[in-house]
Amino acid sequence: MAKGFDIDHLAKLARLNLTADEKVLYSNQLTQVLTYFETLAKADLPASSDVALVVTEKALRSDEPGVSLGSDTVTKIAPASHDGQISVPRVVDDES
Amino acid sequence: MAEEIYQLSATEISSRLAAGKLTSRAVVEALITRYHQLNKKIGAFTSLDEKDVLAQADASDARRKAGKVLSRLDGIPVAIKENIAVKGQPLTCSSKMLANLVSPYDAHVVEALKSAGAIIYGRLNMDEFAMGSSTENSAIQKTFNPWDLARIPGGSSGGSAASLASGLVPLALGSDTGGSIRQPASHCGIVGMKPTYGLVSRFGLVAFASSLDQIGPMARTVADCELLLKVLATPDARDMTCFDSTQRSQLPVATEKSLRIGIPKGVLGKGVGAEVAAATQAAIDFYKSKGATIIEVDLPSSELAVPTYYVVATAEASSNLARYDGVRYGHRSSNAKTPIEMMTNSRSEGFGPEVKRRILLGTFVLSAGYADAYYVRALRARSKIRAEHLAALEKVDMILSPTVPTPAFKVGEKVSDPLQLYLEDIFTIPANLAGLPALSVPCGKSGHLPVGFHLVGAPLSESKLFAAAQLFESAHSFANQQPTL
Repeated sequence: MAKGFDIDHLAKLARLNLTADEKVLYSNQLTQVLTYFETLAKADLPASSDVALVVTEKALRSDEPGVSLGSDTVTKIAPASHDGQISVPRVVDDES
Repeated sequence: MAEEIYQLSATEISSRLAAGKLTSRAVVEALITRYHQLNKKIGAFTSLDEKDVLAQADASDARRKAGKVLSRLDGIPVAIKENIAVKGQPLTCSSKMLANLVSPYDAHVVEALKSAGAIIYGRLNMDEFAMGSSTENSAIQKTFNPWDLARIPGGSSGGSAASLASGLVPLALGSDTGGSIRQPASHCGIVGMKPTYGLVSRFGLVAFASSLDQIGPMARTVADCELLLKVLATPDARDMTCFDSTQRSQLPVATEKSLRIGIPKGVLGKGVGAEVAAATQAAIDFYKSKGATIIEVDLPSSELAVPTYYVVATAEASSNLARYDGVRYGHRSSNAKTPIEMMTNSRSEGFGPEVKRRILLGTFVLSAGYADAYYVRALRARSKIRAEHLAALEKVDMILSPTVPTPAFKVGEKVSDPLQLYLEDIFTIPANLAGLPALSVPCGKSGHLPVGFHLVGAPLSESKLFAAAQLFESAHSFANQQPTL
């Protein structure tokens, strides 16, 4: 089982900034954990990966409007809002 | 007989309330006094709104006076883990990420408790986002084991277990993804159950690993634990994995007169402390003396359980925790000019080390080029572990083992070694992977520290597990135990 990983790439995928010390720490710890995971690579396993524990009809319920929290409640817990909308840093650049 | 109010079981409080010998206000006042005496020392509760709980107690007493009692839990305090939503109360998950979040709604289980008249009593500390086995990963405070304040209470529901063991509350809710109810229950000498996956709605439980998470009851006696589960286990259309009424009506009923108990081959061998092994063996001998048939069962894939769990749980966590991006709720970095900076900085500032470690691990096992080798193989192993357990449970009513290999360790002892900490859950993880109900019951001491044994049953066999646990508890002196504090 391949266990090489690029900590910078992983941090980027996970949207985390890591300090130089954290990179060393997490690299060592992940290497240790992934080495332990090698028992999985050696195991004789079934072809099936079906692990559904509960199957209910509710997955197919009709798409009807329900009661929701309402924009007042939602904007109250948002980090920043303006005129009943959640505000975020500018997403789209100016056209140049 | 226990006389102080804080020493009473929920069942006993319920009887005294019904007989008019006690009021809910008297119970709550006694517990608030106890809270002021001990909570700083134990660190179990993160918050308690005294005015609110007294008002709930008065409302319950008024209902009782008017002959409108809602259930046996009416007027009884139930404390809630920090990752279960209570409208108008903090929902921090013991994380800086959600430090200022006040929940705008109630979890299904909280609605159920309110309908039953229970008092929603304070919030309990936990490992951040339920990731950990010692409650040392909380960003709010440490929680200590009431039996030895230099030791951990277990985790992630460490606040729940410690609050019960120190007589701060008679009932508590925990959540269990790999052992987070049962391992702290064992370390604190109380009873804790992880129900069958799908028995209790997860609506309002902050998601860690959705295919493994279950909310469950924790208490100082088996009867109290069962009483609480009955209130929690109702259908809920808002959780698509929650059993509906028809499925519940098909529940197996405990009919077997003679109990068949399976003991996994070699379970008391390598890695299990001598006193833990002796206490577990004594429990096995007890059941044998009561006429149970003891059968050795073979679960060869159990050695795959811990790696399988850490692949599945971290993969799901990395996906579930992607929602914490600083946009809609939770921490937003003040140091960000672009949306990507906002997300990355908010996450980096808000999450603690264990959460970051698990997100990185989960991201890796799902990443291109590695998902087949790790995630897909883990799902296959999970399928095999479930099949082996279901096959064994055709031959026996339940499987017995220790809950944790060794008693509670010292605070700080395993913080730098995540792998050692992950092995705390070696006996509890298979029940989560296989979706089975499992219970930890106090069965002795290792030195001065409590030890529990673990029962796993077939899907929806909770009543059978409780009956077996009750048989043991009635013949021993571990029920409702509390250390002197």
